[in-house]
Amino acid sequence: MITIAERTAQPLADDMLRAMFEARKRVFVDLLKWNVPVIENRYEVDQFDDPHAVYLIAVGDDGEHLGSARLLETLRPHILDTLFADLCAAHPPRGPDILEITRFCLDRRLPAARRLTVRNTLVSAIADYALMRGVTGYTGIAEFGWLQQILAFGWRCRPLGLPAVRDGRTLGALWIDIGSDTPALLAQGGVYIADALGFTGERRAA
Amino acid sequence: MFDRIDAFVRDVSTIETEIALAERLDEICREMGFAYFALTHHVDIRHTPGPAIRLANYPSDWVDYFDAHKLGPSDPVHRASHLTSVGFAWSKLSRLIALTPRDLQVLELAERRGIGDGFTVPANVPGEANGSCSFAIQAGRSLEEDQLPLAQLVGAFAFEAARRVCGVRMTGPLGEPRLTDRQRDCVIWAARGKSDWEIARILGLSHETVTEYLKRARERYGVGKRTLLAVHALFDGTISFNDVMKR
Repeated sequence: MITIAERTAQPLADDMLRAMFEARKRVFVDLLKWNVPVIENRYEVDQFDDPHAVYLIAVGDDGEHLGSARLLETLRPHILDTLFADLCAAHPPRGPDILEITRFCLDRRLPAARRLTVRNTLVSAIADYALMRGVTGYTGIAEFGWLQQILAFGWRCRPLGLPAVRDGRTLGALWIDIGSDTPALLAQGGVYIADALGFTGERRAA
Repeated sequence: MFDRIDAFVRDVSTIETEIALAERLDEICREMGFAYFALTHHVDIRHTPGPAIRLANYPSDWVDYFDAHKLGPSDPVHRASHLTSVGFAWSKLSRLIALTPRDLQVLELAERRGIGDGFTVPANVPGEANGSCSFAIQAGRSLEEDQLPLAQLVGAFAFEAARRVCGVRMTGPLGEPRLTDRQRDCVIWAARGKSDWEIARILGLSHETVTEYLKRARERYGVGKRTLLAVHALFDGTISFNDVMKR
């Protein structure tokens, strides 16, 4: 089950979010070697981890972090328009009904089979969250390889521009179209897990 | 040119046949300055039970030669594409893999049939055979670097369209795990080269129990050898390279 965390005034004061920032550090800094800020040598937290960010977090039975994703409003500064605008052929898509998916993170400690389940649960939650909140599309940046997997989930995707190499990584910007048929498309891709957010979504403000 | 690719992506997202996809690829491949394309799963296409993709406009005598010599899984371009997620030029293959005399011969034979340098976009989806989409120019011409980002994008979206059209996608949610947790632990240690006796010591189980777990695991995959068991469990994601190779 996925927990939605939003309006997080002091993210580092919350156990669940702290576990997420630690997991993000292990994945994005230690494993993928991204050049992103780290706090106390332990937590990966950047300028977009503010009260406007929404987090979808998969938590295990013992409260451990399994996976997470961060959704940013596109009417406010976000990653595509602030750091990677050159990946878009036109202006980065912006709107009250458009969110950017960032920091999609699967905990490094997960064994392979569990990883796939957590990944599918998170992707399903991302789709359900959009339908619940009237979001019509997501933007996102992905390294090729991961981008191929995102396409393989089965939802409708389009490129926003030509790929470019940054810090030795080939990155592409994507548009992910969300509609009432998105869960069915994800199900055809073998990805959709119904009810990932629970009946109305378990919400909490930390 | 991005507009052209955008149109290609929209177009192939709705087509329904392999022939239609091959036609669109043939068209855009020429517009990008290439002569040939090949979109394929890296398997021996004549001996694969499940659905596998292969679309190409290579000269037919080359395709026959390729099949006759079972080059599907051992093709140097395919092997290299398992090591990277980003497109690469064939002229730079030796930076990715050690080329054997046989590999060099394959590349030379392709060139003799008119296939020059090429650019391959790897397309690896967990739980499925690895694949790629390649674009090649006529022998004797040289690759235009500024076309490579276009080829990268076209390759990625074309491969996904092919998965959809050919029905490669898994249907329905993931099934029950094929192995129990204990069986899985044993397979990881077997993949690391440990004997049943060693695994028993490591996991604190009896020798007989480990032998039984691995026997059941082989049965679940329908294979007779522990090497094949490890390969199958890696392939479907039951165990990961990380599990096997971490210290």
